[in-house]
Amino acid sequence: MYDKTVRRRRLVLALLVVLSLILLTAYFGEASSGGLHSVQRGFLTVVSPIQNGANKALKPVRDLIGWFGDTLHAKGQRDELRKQVSKLRHEVIANNAEKHSYHELLALYKLDNQLSVSDYHPVTATVVAKSPNVWYSTVTIDKGESSGVRVNDPVINSEGLVGKVAQVASDGAQVTLITDSSVGVSARIGTSGATGIVQPKVGDPNDLLLQYLPANTQANKGEYVVTSGTVSSPDDSLYPPGIPIGQVTSINEESAYRSVNVHPLANLHDLDVVQVLTAARGSLPANLGQVTASMPPGRQASASGEQLASVKAGGEGEGGP
Amino acid sequence: MSGAPSPGLLWRIAALGVVVVFFQIGVVSEVPVFGVSADLSPLLVAFVGLLCGSVVGAVTGFGVGLLVDLALVQTLGVTSLVLTVVGYFAGRLREARDPQAALTPLLVGAAGSAAAMVLYSVVQFLLGVDAPVSWELLRQIVLGVVVNTIIALPVWALVRRCLIGGLPEDPRRRRRRAYTTGGLSPLSRS
Repeated sequence: MYDKTVRRRRLVLALLVVLSLILLTAYFGEASSGGLHSVQRGFLTVVSPIQNGANKALKPVRDLIGWFGDTLHAKGQRDELRKQVSKLRHEVIANNAEKHSYHELLALYKLDNQLSVSDYHPVTATVVAKSPNVWYSTVTIDKGESSGVRVNDPVINSEGLVGKVAQVASDGAQVTLITDSSVGVSARIGTSGATGIVQPKVGDPNDLLLQYLPANTQANKGEYVVTSGTVSSPDDSLYPPGIPIGQVTSINEESAYRSVNVHPLANLHDLDVVQVLTAARGSLPANLGQVTASMPPGRQASASGEQLASVKAGGEGEGGP
Repeated sequence: MSGAPSPGLLWRIAALGVVVVFFQIGVVSEVPVFGVSADLSPLLVAFVGLLCGSVVGAVTGFGVGLLVDLALVQTLGVTSLVLTVVGYFAGRLREARDPQAALTPLLVGAAGSAAAMVLYSVVQFLLGVDAPVSWELLRQIVLGVVVNTIIALPVWALVRRCLIGGLPEDPRRRRRRAYTTGGLSPLSRS
């Protein structure tokens, strides 16, 4: 009797472990259009409305718990914000003087609506689920294919760049955050204009590194890093230029290329509402994506404002937007 | 637990698993403590194993893991594998030693969480996820275990309260209680 119980117990364990390994191997080996991925997308489609409802119903609980933490941090944030207000007041005065000449130049080159965020048809979405562990920098949102969301669409919030869409179901989508190791964003430093690639900092998934900057790049602590509006590979997402990513925290000079540490502006631990920039087929960003995908790898990183202008001109000539 | 679990107990465990997973991804994951989020799933699985035995613990671990992987669009099978092992060994602890100390759930919760997080990291490394073994990763694991240990006792109370009505009376426990209350002890009869 005892032997039978022990055998049954071990058999169940072995069965479950083998089943897990089979699932894991099959899932890891198949393409994203495979059967298990389809089942997962189907499950996401089914549970998205439930998650959305639960998310709304449980928001007061979340807010109550969050209130304690927020109160603890409020004092420190207040002091820091006072310093920032003082600094920004000086910057506003200086910027106002530059604003006038900027608008004149913008009108001169007829660049004022080119690749603005509105060209990407922003779709507002609510974050309904978030991975609890450090290995998956992803969130799930309540808008999917039915709202025009597609894979690789950029995702932003009021603070700056958040990430890009990784998988889409009909009423939900999975967003990979910029702190995920699979994401790389072409970016430039606000004042110097030096461009590089922003990737998560190795060993610290909550920090970013702007890499491959020219050796003579000058950057100061606190400077803003924004998207450059270019792509470095055909698989990349095309982020509109000028979306803030983070602030420079320190500069590394140990290699031939210079790199700077960047602290993300968007609070990725507390995402609630985001916007997906869904570039419709035939629009300027989508055309640009096709052009850069057909370019040889060496040329893709240099897709510049000149090319954007030619794409826009071509799109309009064919009856585009 | 001797014999097969009753259908009532299995329904309770299934319902508890679904509620805990959705509460985890809807609320708990969004409330960082010391920069990390608590993870209720290893606690739930370890406590089900501790209350119901190794087979039920392992099956619960597999089911909860599969639900987590499906709901969070993660690699299917990773969480199932990890939680199956956690549930099985928590159940084995109960079957082999049946610990009665008040701090047992605290220790089992901490050990279960630590085992789950370490095993999870090992599986991720084996799958070739591009991340180095760093102090930051170690810090996240340690803080995760600390946070889970802090909430272990309330979670234990909740799991026990939900399942206690479906658990059959354990003959060993009944015998021990009888000895301590006097009348039925063989010594007192002689």
